[in-house]
Amino acid sequence: MRSPDPAVVRRAPFHPLLAKEMREVASGRALWTMLLILCPLVGYSFFQAAALYGEASSAARDSPVLASGLSPLDGVLVPTFGALYVAVTLLFPFVAIRTLGREKETGALRLLVQLPYRVPTLIAAKMTAIFGAWLAVVIPAASALAIWLMLGGHLYLPETLDILLGHLLYGLLVGAIALFSASISESSATAAIVTLAFTIGSWVLDFALAGQPGVLEWVSRLSLTQTLRGFEQGLLSAGLLLGIVAAICGFAALAAVWLHPGVPLRAKLVRSAVCVTIAAAVVAVATQIGVSVDVTEDRRNSFPAADQRALAELREPLIITVHLAAEDPRYVDLRRNILLKLERVVPNITIRLATAGQSVVGSTSEEAYGEIEYSYGGRSDKSRSTSHREILPLIYALAGRPPPTPIAGEEYPGYPLLANASPALAWFLGGLPLLIVIAWWLSRRPPQIAAQLIKDGGQS
Amino acid sequence: MTVSSAILLDRTADRAPALMQVAGLCKRYGEQRALVDISFAVNAGEVLGLIGPNGAGKTTLMEAVAGILAADDGRVLWRGTSLALPQRREFMFYLPDGLRPWEGQYAAEVIAFFAAVYGRPEIVVADTIRSLGLAPVLRKRIAALSKGYGRRLMLALALLAPHPLLLMDEPFDGFDLRQTREIMNVLRDVASNGRTFVLAIHQLGDAARVCDRFVLLADGRVRGVGTLAQLRAQTGKPAAGLEEVFLALT
Repeated sequence: MRSPDPAVVRRAPFHPLLAKEMREVASGRALWTMLLILCPLVGYSFFQAAALYGEASSAARDSPVLASGLSPLDGVLVPTFGALYVAVTLLFPFVAIRTLGREKETGALRLLVQLPYRVPTLIAAKMTAIFGAWLAVVIPAASALAIWLMLGGHLYLPETLDILLGHLLYGLLVGAIALFSASISESSATAAIVTLAFTIGSWVLDFALAGQPGVLEWVSRLSLTQTLRGFEQGLLSAGLLLGIVAAICGFAALAAVWLHPGVPLRAKLVRSAVCVTIAAAVVAVATQIGVSVDVTEDRRNSFPAADQRALAELREPLIITVHLAAEDPRYVDLRRNILLKLERVVPNITIRLATAGQSVVGSTSEEAYGEIEYSYGGRSDKSRSTSHREILPLIYALAGRPPPTPIAGEEYPGYPLLANASPALAWFLGGLPLLIVIAWWLSRRPPQIAAQLIKDGGQS
Repeated sequence: MTVSSAILLDRTADRAPALMQVAGLCKRYGEQRALVDISFAVNAGEVLGLIGPNGAGKTTLMEAVAGILAADDGRVLWRGTSLALPQRREFMFYLPDGLRPWEGQYAAEVIAFFAAVYGRPEIVVADTIRSLGLAPVLRKRIAALSKGYGRRLMLALALLAPHPLLLMDEPFDGFDLRQTREIMNVLRDVASNGRTFVLAIHQLGDAARVCDRFVLLADGRVRGVGTLAQLRAQTGKPAAGLEEVFLALT
């Protein structure tokens, strides 16, 4: 088939599209309202966190042991960013939906899809605008960290960046879901309902299904809040990163599939199935990746350095059989204190839950319930402890090697701080909201127009 | 063979391919047949009117031609070569009816956006603004524009698109008589410079004033295609106006 005349415009620069998307986000009230709501929300969370941290610090002032338990990650970072998490869950969908919802309602989408951009480019511009909106939304929390530093507080950069990365990915995931919801909905209101079904539905999963055995436990892992858990614990997991990125790309791809009104429904369904299959396959691969980095200053996700080195040298398979129900608090304790750390360091490890699929009620009558069996190099031993001080020597004994000598000076000192964060409230309740209002007012100023356009462009 | 198919074949048999041809376009919404075997041709540089009452299928036809809506059957040809749905935006630009896009942004910003996307020089932008009288509202938000200025802005966006063929749905809706004539002059002026228009119009008086040829639509079917003189000959009413011709054919 011969080609028709050369097309008029096949490509266009990206920056006008991106600028348009950014203006669209900034011209709506959702972003500015969210920012104003975030000020007291983040401010009060930070104030409370700093006050509680101060109380704990006063008790730890004369006790190095107590002081070593004071980490700004748990004490300040996580609670302050917790307010951001709540706001992103409940309010950010409205900001993200604006990038597409209004265009569908006003018919602007029919203009947009005719412009010389491929649909993935349109979605990329909208996702970039959502990223820009997230950067604005994180300002109150970032200012809280600045205040914390000014008060003399300590922040460990890797931990801080890890938390920021987690919240960024969570924000982008919520944004991608919102974009997908807007692309399949005819109105912004419907899109908001669909998005909130995802985000608030995650809370339902967290509350109702977490800790349940069997399939329910697996379903509870689909909660969006799971994306943040690892980051809040100071763990940078390659599998989690890949899984979240796959989910973000999957929802963005689905948004692209459903964006163009001219594509027949059957084609959209087929393409959606392809997107979902690819995303699910990548997520499945991601769950098999065990590589992770402990970014915490207190190395809470790792054993002491000497033990880490010794355990990394165990070449034979270490098999651990746990006779505990998944929802048993002892199992939760064992998993957090021992199993997850062993999984990260021992090269060849298999962990079996002997009571898989059973509940505490159905399992506790068994005589072996509560036992944890360790097998290494043809030898095995049992323990009921969940402390590494008892379990690691047991593993060393099975491996026939002496426990390593602890390395001196690696103890986490802790960062107690008695600070008065009350002045910060003035910033969050007065200064920052005022700056936001000024920024909103500046954003509403008419653009500069070339004199030639005004001079020659009057009514003819 | 339908009336429109016969006209299309007659049109294409003895001349060079038309700028654009629509051949056998069909569209259903469930049991309702919105478009039935629609065929017609558009010649370069002409103003073709799609004429029909509300519900005749004008908007559906325009969206299907522009690739905004998936048709169930039929083809759109550009100089005799079939255009796939994603290709159509490279050759034609469709301005839907009743648009008020990006309401929170300023008129100047939206104009600048289209100009930047299509790489239009400032002189073309200034000329478009001047011809449509948009200078007084450039520093107004789109939501604050009157209906008339909103329509002018949309026309400006369409005229900034450099495509050789522009499809416009009810371009005179929202204008009073004087403004309608003024906009007609603008479109005729643009057409005289080589661009082609397909205008969906339900006001027959407006259509008669601005269009070179007509496609009469009713109930999703083509009832007649041609100049007013050809349509008069078809109905056997040599002195009839467009209204009478339309009533006679539909």
